[in-house]
Amino acid sequence: MAHARISANLPPDIDPTKAPIAFGKRALPKLNEELRSPELLTQQRALMALCDLVHDPENVYQAIGVGFLDNLKTLLLHHDSTVRQKTTEILYIMAMHNVGRQGLIQSGMISALTELLDDPIDICRKNTHQIFEMMAKLHEGAVGILHAGLIPLLVFKLKTELDEIQELILDTLSNCLRVEASEALATGAITILKEKLKHSSAAIRSKAAWVLLEIGTHPEGKSMVCEEVIPVLVSLLEDTDPEVQASATGALMFATIKPQGRFSALGAEAIPPLLKLVAEETSKARLSAIKTLTMLAELPEGRKTLLDHTDTFQQCLNDPCEAVKRAAKIAISVIKWKP
Amino acid sequence: MLPARQPEEEEEVAAAPAVPYTYCSRPRALPARPKYRAAPAAAELEKEPVRYANLMYDRRVVRGNTYALQVLPVVCFYPSPLEIQRQREARKRALARKRTKEQMQPRTPEPVEGREHVHVQTELYLEEISDRIIEVDTECQTDAFLDRPPTPFFIPAKTGKDVATQIEEGELFDFDVEVKPILEVLIGKTVEQALLEVMEEEELAQLWAHQRAYAELRNAELAEVQRLEEQDRRYREEKERRKLQHMQMLQKQKETTEKIAARAFAQHYLADLIPSVFNNLRESGFFYDPIERDIETEFLPWLMTEVEETLERKVLGRTMLDSLIRTVVEKRLDAFSHKPLSYQTEAPAEESRPTDAAHQVAGETDAADQPVAEKEETDQPVPEEQPSRHISFQLEESDQAGTEDLETE
Repeated sequence: MAHARISANLPPDIDPTKAPIAFGKRALPKLNEELRSPELLTQQRALMALCDLVHDPENVYQAIGVGFLDNLKTLLLHHDSTVRQKTTEILYIMAMHNVGRQGLIQSGMISALTELLDDPIDICRKNTHQIFEMMAKLHEGAVGILHAGLIPLLVFKLKTELDEIQELILDTLSNCLRVEASEALATGAITILKEKLKHSSAAIRSKAAWVLLEIGTHPEGKSMVCEEVIPVLVSLLEDTDPEVQASATGALMFATIKPQGRFSALGAEAIPPLLKLVAEETSKARLSAIKTLTMLAELPEGRKTLLDHTDTFQQCLNDPCEAVKRAAKIAISVIKWKP
Repeated sequence: MLPARQPEEEEEVAAAPAVPYTYCSRPRALPARPKYRAAPAAAELEKEPVRYANLMYDRRVVRGNTYALQVLPVVCFYPSPLEIQRQREARKRALARKRTKEQMQPRTPEPVEGREHVHVQTELYLEEISDRIIEVDTECQTDAFLDRPPTPFFIPAKTGKDVATQIEEGELFDFDVEVKPILEVLIGKTVEQALLEVMEEEELAQLWAHQRAYAELRNAELAEVQRLEEQDRRYREEKERRKLQHMQMLQKQKETTEKIAARAFAQHYLADLIPSVFNNLRESGFFYDPIERDIETEFLPWLMTEVEETLERKVLGRTMLDSLIRTVVEKRLDAFSHKPLSYQTEAPAEESRPTDAAHQVAGETDAADQPVAEKEETDQPVPEEQPSRHISFQLEESDQAGTEDLETE
């Protein structure tokens, strides 16, 4: 019988590490079957091929329809590291599309990924955290992560992981804590975040401040933030990186809503750096700084100090951004309010 | 009857009822006998559907009568001399049978012109026909199945002339010219891809920036909302406190006014308390002049008792007198009863009696009125009463007449 191979040498542009892809619609179902085969090599080759295919969103949609996610879920716990790494990579690429995210949530992939948080291979962990970060951007994803009880684990991991993974964890946490913060507070996240605020990397500092911002949107979080973190945040206001300044200002904005926060902020002398931030025309932190100063102006001492600086706010009235103008107006009215 | 085929028979005779009849070899339909053997390395998996050949044309089926033994039909191309001999014998036998059959017929046909029938004795050629044919058992074993040898390469005979050719450089194509479009496409695609990727990254970065700006706005709005909430809460609490204070103040005021009103009323009420108290006390005799009291408590009762005694003596005297008069009168009555003029003396005696009675009554009531008179005298203290008592009695008698009715009641 004749074989498909014409000669003993393989054609020059075939990648031996990838499984051959069937034509058209049959590509994904065939890869699905190959994934279930007991042979390691077949599985690896199928995963490599799948990884390339899945960059196309239509293939993502078809893959979810064919039922890839269950196979991938079982492969997550495979003993071979390449398989795990490729599986997580595929899941990450799928999570970048909305269809993929929805599919991942529905198939309960989040709980399966929990096992991989302790994986010895760095790449697997990094991919897992990337997946979590992507999922957390979606509201249902954030809720799913909260329900799976991942927050204490993630907070714990913050202490031990590598820097880039820490950034991913901080992003995930900030998105999840926007929804609910009680679990994180219970595990003492604030102390850990306070340490991170002094980290050498600017990205980590700004992300940690962002997480504190999200914690501060909840009332119980506000009280905890007020107790400990305000002095550190005020020191961060003078940081060199504008991102860090912006996040720190935002965190302060929420922390000063409560009266005790305002007092501690005044005590830490937050007003001068905030005024500097407001005066800068192109600062990202402008809006947050104006808002924070509005909060502080509700205290009598704050009002006294700020009465001298109303011209800074007058300048802000000329800002092109609508929100900044409004905020400046509100600030001026609060400063000039007489009881 | 290949024994290997046994298991398949049972399925084919499925329709047969379960009869207690056993076959040595069950009847079954046989598939066609293939012409060639199957190749040794053939795919066993590829089973073609079994073709059943027609029974009538199957070479394996025995034809003819089954009550005589049959010889295997000749199959091989190169029959052995033994077989040739056998065939010859078989042919002869067949011929012999045919001939006897001809002779058995009642009439032989007329000889054709120019020929004549001749009786021939075939003794020399006859063979003994016995029941049992001499037979010899021979075995024949074919060699193990040999593979069909592969067809030898067909090398057609060489025809034509040998010609050689050689392609020199530059004859087929000019590389530099030809490669240009290919290069253009390649580079163009690569650059396009790179541009796309860069654009995507930029788009992503913009999306992130947009998201970040939106997040900031949202946070600012949220902070504003919470600040206003906080403010509102503070104002409300302040209002509550002030209201409470005001309420308390009002209540205190009310209490104070009530107290003042009560105090004024009480003052007013008690204003003439003291005078009235003193009046009452004075009236009820708490403030008394001790001498007066003394006089009243001691002197006057003694006086009264003395007066009473005196009066009693007088009354006694009067009653004595009355009784004396009465006895006298009675005696006179008795004395005059014998005379009819007695009634004239009775009339004045009867008139004197009512007047005495009235006098008595007046005397008795005098004694009773003394204490009342004392009371009236308290307002008008009269130190010397004894001498004027007689006068006062007479005065009071006229008064008593007026007040008698009241007192008798």
